[in-house]
Amino acid sequence: MTPETIKLIAAGLCMGLGAIGPGIGIGVLGMGAMQALGRNPEARGPIMTNMILGIAFAEAVAIYALVVAVVLVFVA
Amino acid sequence: MPKKGCLGCSFPVLIGVIVVLLALVVIGLLGGALGHSFFPNLNIPDWLPVQKPHVQLPAETVFHVFDFGVTNSIIASWITIIVLVGIAYAVTHRTRLVPSRLQSLIEFALEWMLNLCKDVAGEKNGRRFFPIVTTIFLFVLMNAWLSLLPGFGSILITGPEGEPVPLLRGANTDINLPLALALISFVFVEYLGISSLGGLHYMKKFINVSRFLTGVGQLFRGKLKAGFGGIFYGAIDIFVGMLETLSELIRIVSFTFRLFGNMTGGEILILMMMFLVPWVLALPFYGLELLVGLIQAVVFSGLTLVFATVAVTPHGGEEA
Repeated sequence: MTPETIKLIAAGLCMGLGAIGPGIGIGVLGMGAMQALGRNPEARGPIMTNMILGIAFAEAVAIYALVVAVVLVFVA
Repeated sequence: MPKKGCLGCSFPVLIGVIVVLLALVVIGLLGGALGHSFFPNLNIPDWLPVQKPHVQLPAETVFHVFDFGVTNSIIASWITIIVLVGIAYAVTHRTRLVPSRLQSLIEFALEWMLNLCKDVAGEKNGRRFFPIVTTIFLFVLMNAWLSLLPGFGSILITGPEGEPVPLLRGANTDINLPLALALISFVFVEYLGISSLGGLHYMKKFINVSRFLTGVGQLFRGKLKAGFGGIFYGAIDIFVGMLETLSELIRIVSFTFRLFGNMTGGEILILMMMFLVPWVLALPFYGLELLVGLIQAVVFSGLTLVFATVAVTPHGGEEA
């Protein structure tokens, strides 16, 4: 197992495991937004705006994992 | 004669478009990395395959000015500034009551941003926060969208060490620019908090020793039960204050890496897609990049707005 190999495996694991949490989080956010939209279709504006904001927060955590994976492959 | 058929084109034109698209897909599949691994013996012309993308996270210097290396992302941010100032001049140097098309587009964007500020921060504070929030929004948005134009990353110039270096690179992909914007946002939020609430009252959010000291005072005066209760809750208050300080500082890191990671990830994604199937596969990802640029600009400026609103509300909100 050369260091090259381990770096590549580590990058794959990092991005894969790091995307589980944000994926579930974005799904939960979407479920909440769909339910709220179903109950009250007139509040579509604020619901969508706040959903997009929440999704960007959750996605940021996945992006941190992506940055670590990119650093592992290209820099380290 | 009215246009009939699909999508407003007549039937032969539609057939022609589909044939051209299929030809591009086939040439792209054969010429790129996927085709090279499936059919290694085709002789394809020299200009067709795309070389493997060489990703370099620190931005490359293009020339030096008195010992300061000007990187290609700095040049790209100059271009963004020129474009933004040009649009602003073109819209405002002769405003008409019945607006022209460019003026109404800019008015739509600014009015949307002003409504967002007023929704989040209230009437008075919304107008106060509007300039810097909209500046951050427009700057990040223009940086992200201008970096999708052809020429960014493909025009090569000989660098200071003699090797070919791209002349332009998306300004958000250099980590210095998101870091600078995050620091500006942090200083803006702290300045607003201190100037609205007074320095001492604002610092009470972070160094909250009043209940602890009251508890100690009560202990000395002999009220044991109230004293110990005060000390216990006061200790929790101090701990929460330290957590608040830490979360303020971590905000800088989180802003930086959110913007940098999204933009760099998008650029690497497009480069990889162009390497795999040259002409066609990158198109949906260009659409994704447009959307991601807009969302990241909204998130950066929206979060600055939210944190500024939180910093300006008085601390005794939950006890009142």
